[in-house]
Amino acid sequence: MATLTRSQAEELLFREALLIDTRRYDEWLAMFTPDIEFWMPAWRNETETTTDPDRELSLIYYKGRRNLEDRVMRLTSGLSTASSPPPRVVHVISNVLLTAGDADTAEVSAVFTCHRFDVRMNRTECFFGRYEYALRRESEAWLIVRKKIVLLNDVIPTVVDITSI
Amino acid sequence: MSIDTAAYVDDRPDEGIFRVNRAIFTDEQVFEAEMARIFEGGWVFLGLEAQAPAPHDFFTTFAGRVPILVQRDGEGQLRAFVNSCPHKGARLAQTQSGNARLHVCPYHSWSFDSAGRSKAVKWQKAGCYSAAFDQQDHGLAAVPCFENYRGFLFGSLSADVPSLADYLGEAAKLLDLVADQSEEGAELVPGQVTFTYQANWKLQLENCSDAYHFTSAHPSYIRVLERRQQETSGEVVASVWENSDYWKEETQGVGGGSYSFPNGHVLNWGVFGITPAIPLYESAAVLAERHGEGKRDWMFNMRNLTIFPNLQVAENASSQLRVIRPIGPGLTEMRTWCIAPKGESDAARRQRIRQYEDFFNPTGMATPDDTVSYENCQIGYAGRVDPWLQGYARGMTASVEGGNRFSDRIGLTPARSVLADSQLCDETLYHAYYRAWAERMGGAE
Ligand code: FES
Ligand SMILES: [Fe+2]
Repeated sequence: MATLTRSQAEELLFREALLIDTRRYDEWLAMFTPDIEFWMPAWRNETETTTDPDRELSLIYYKGRRNLEDRVMRLTSGLSTASSPPPRVVHVISNVLLTAGDADTAEVSAVFTCHRFDVRMNRTECFFGRYEYALRRESEAWLIVRKKIVLLNDVIPTVVDITSI
Repeated sequence: MSIDTAAYVDDRPDEGIFRVNRAIFTDEQVFEAEMARIFEGGWVFLGLEAQAPAPHDFFTTFAGRVPILVQRDGEGQLRAFVNSCPHKGARLAQTQSGNARLHVCPYHSWSFDSAGRSKAVKWQKAGCYSAAFDQQDHGLAAVPCFENYRGFLFGSLSADVPSLADYLGEAAKLLDLVADQSEEGAELVPGQVTFTYQANWKLQLENCSDAYHFTSAHPSYIRVLERRQQETSGEVVASVWENSDYWKEETQGVGGGSYSFPNGHVLNWGVFGITPAIPLYESAAVLAERHGEGKRDWMFNMRNLTIFPNLQVAENASSQLRVIRPIGPGLTEMRTWCIAPKGESDAARRQRIRQYEDFFNPTGMATPDDTVSYENCQIGYAGRVDPWLQGYARGMTASVEGGNRFSDRIGLTPARSVLADSQLCDETLYHAYYRAWAERMGGAE
């Protein structure tokens, strides 16, 4: 079987962004393998992020899609003040590169900006950083096994949820 | 600047009245006076000794608006300085932490050793300075009072303060409960998380001690916990909350309560029990042996501690150290860390970190529902039809002088205490904050 092409990688990342931006969370979760590692490290100092999620703090660390389903449930429950009304977000993804891969696996890096309009407080924020993806071919589809988000502006204005990174 | 404190805090214990005026959270003059009199005029928490463990290590922080450098010299002695060059005032150390035998000011290269002494004034001989200048000390300005209580470092920009021991008083025993979880003391897990919120700093002060909000502000988190409780998959992030009935509405009997202390220190607490859901569980036996069962049990209690005005240590789902930094009446910065006993096992550390991220982070599932509520309050404070808030009245008839059978177990003598079932949710513990506030804000300069 052929390896993943860059345009296929872009297609996958752009689709993921669209699903988050339009709050189609079930379809979004379906892009992940059940054992996904979803990781946004914290910063250890001015120049380095933390690297060992077991010994150092992350902003977000989940092993298993099950935990992301919890996050989505909370977001959509109507029971979280911070999540309702939901902020309006748009992700812009660029600089997509294939960094490794074979017939069944691929690694992709990209950069993102996420613009968030917090309707509750009438304020606009922009979060930006880098993505590192590991993908795996399952039957015909490429699924996300690992998503690492390096958030560069990490002084969090009140809240950053999984939808604005 | 003198503040008429009665205009902000209506404290009439004999009549059963305690009210706080909304203006205390929004007035510019109040904020200026708080900075001058509380944050820059008395003891504030600066950091942990563990943040600068080796010779020449340093870290930076703030006392109110004043940048502070905490520096260890070559002999291992810690000192605190204003992080500002005596030449023209530039901030000297540029990073949150580091190691420096010498700090060289980036502006005109004046330099200082790790004991804060002037090392060189660039081109001093050629500078045609007056004799008066040459006689002056060109070292860093030391913070007038700087003390270390069991690894917790405090400083005061005013020299006119009680000793740290007097300032902490009995509340020091609650810091012991943190420090004594390991023979080596406590450390900060690498990875600091900073967030801001657009509301007054005292909202954070209060919320840490607020038992009343949990089931109201965090129902989405509670629902997640309930969902996890129904599964025993190794994949889900385990939390102590799902193993505890402490916070549940239907729980009967005394489940916890509050203690308040002079100078505005406050604890609210609940019984979790000695459960494997708490990362400290691996040390339960050894801690009982070392410190006795009473103190060991207290280490396993849910505890939210405030050392007035800017330090909070929350031990519930995990363990968090927070430093409150007011920026304006309507803007606050929180610097937060996972605090942990040194030397704990890999498994316990992992459990502590996972619980922490989920509960405490501004990217997690609980804290945002708090901070957004603070912002809602700040918006609401503009309403002055009735300026007096009604949120300081629960527990009024339950509050007693001194301690109770629980504080007796560790020989702790608070000024006041409340024993509570899950629905009492004492609000009188805030009185300690505002009484300390009024004491510091009123009176002579
Ligand atoms: S301000 Fe530091 S050397 Fe001039
Ligand atoms: Fe809360």
